[in-house]
Amino acid sequence: MAACRALVSRAVLPLHYHHVCRGVMLTHIREKKRWMKAYTLIMERKRKMEGPPPPKPRSQQPNFDYHAEVEAFSARLQESFSLELLKTAFVNVCYLRSEEERRRALGLDLETTTLNLKDNGELCVHGQQFTKAFLSDWCRGSFPSLPQEGVAAIVGHLTGSEVMCHVARNLAVEDLTMSAEFPVPDEILQGTFFAVIGALEQSSGSVRAGLFIRDFLVTQLIVKDLFDMWKVVDPMGLLVKELTCKGIALPEPRLIRSAGASTVLPLYFVGLYSDRKLLAQGPGETVLAAEEEAARVALRKLYGFTENRRPWDYTAPHEQLQKPSAQALTSE
Amino acid sequence: MTCALPKKTQSQWATFARSWFLIDARMQPPGKIASMCSVRLQGKHKPIYHPLSDIGDHVVVMNTRHIAFSGNKWEQKVYSSHTGYPGSFKQLTAAQMHKKDPTAIIKLAVYGMLPKNLTRRTMMQRLHLFPDDVLPEDILKNLTEELPQPREIPRKLSEYTQEERNAFPMLWTPPEDYRMK
Repeated sequence: MAACRALVSRAVLPLHYHHVCRGVMLTHIREKKRWMKAYTLIMERKRKMEGPPPPKPRSQQPNFDYHAEVEAFSARLQESFSLELLKTAFVNVCYLRSEEERRRALGLDLETTTLNLKDNGELCVHGQQFTKAFLSDWCRGSFPSLPQEGVAAIVGHLTGSEVMCHVARNLAVEDLTMSAEFPVPDEILQGTFFAVIGALEQSSGSVRAGLFIRDFLVTQLIVKDLFDMWKVVDPMGLLVKELTCKGIALPEPRLIRSAGASTVLPLYFVGLYSDRKLLAQGPGETVLAAEEEAARVALRKLYGFTENRRPWDYTAPHEQLQKPSAQALTSE
Repeated sequence: MTCALPKKTQSQWATFARSWFLIDARMQPPGKIASMCSVRLQGKHKPIYHPLSDIGDHVVVMNTRHIAFSGNKWEQKVYSSHTGYPGSFKQLTAAQMHKKDPTAIIKLAVYGMLPKNLTRRTMMQRLHLFPDDVLPEDILKNLTEELPQPREIPRKLSEYTQEERNAFPMLWTPPEDYRMK
């Protein structure tokens, strides 16, 4: 046993040792099997030819109880969902269609075996509207000087399929979704997550749902830069517009530092001065690139989206979020 | 065009760029000039320093003809060399060496202060020495910053005005017929 444990610590097991599953190892110690080498090599060749096996959904792997998993999902998020709403949220239209087709193909009588499941279309729409409204209000509240396009860009990024699917996969929503194909396509996963948020809002109220969105979606903004999410083609024009709205003098660009101007890797620092005071400075490979970067830095400072801003306080209770839409209405 | 690069790339470009420093060696001790050069050639003045990173900057030293050794080093400091062949041991005083090549003293001083490994030759290639303050145009275009001189140049007596000389406090007033040598 000591010998086989020493051999197990190698990265590749030798010929007569097999992992059957985690915790069980088969060792052909009694005599060496003559067929083992041929069999192993053929299986390796077959595996290399076919490539890795296709992924199987968690519901088809052993030890899966749907009801228990749904309850565990709700408990894990420390939210009290109403279980029917949650189960409805996980059912997609494509799943219902594929189920009906399968039953028809099996020749079952449609009247006796109708599916009693509702799909998550309404919940999805509801959840999407609530999420977008909440995120827009949150953005406007924490970055008051950010214009409408910026808010729309941030909300679009956070409700876009990349971020939503990343969050959904890590919250195990993909394991619980019922859809026609596996792996679940991005749009369907996004729709399911919106439906879950809708179900949460209808079960626990908009405050709890707002806290959920804050804790899971707003945190995805943490290391992101404003102009990664919001594509601005002409930052200088936007800056000039902003400054004229505020009544500050227009920016004048000045070259502050340069290094290696006649080499292949030049560096220029351009500063923007309004009324002889420095607004922002930015580096660049050419003078034009540096000027544009300086305009972007100035915009980031104006909108309060700098890297060294005070981070959002996630430990604060929900007073800050109380009636955000009403706040927006009263401020306007 | 690099205008649309994300912010992280732009600030990284600035962090890893190579600067060009200018030092005026007029009336300065060559050792101090050489230590300033070696610090910047290795990149030790940057917080991202690592010996393998090759993040040293360029250093341009001008007026190397007008360096000033302290003490009697012009006559007493000896630069020796031996090519390996018999009879080729040469010893030159600093004054003779300086006359032969006005940039050699600073060059040897910096060479001795750099780390003794293969990166030394690359760093020496980034050191540009000029005996006078006439610099070629492309180097002038590349310069970023001039470094302050390590030694404060004392003023000669001829550079003081008569008012300043009169205002200087005297220890004692000599009598009328005192003869000053």
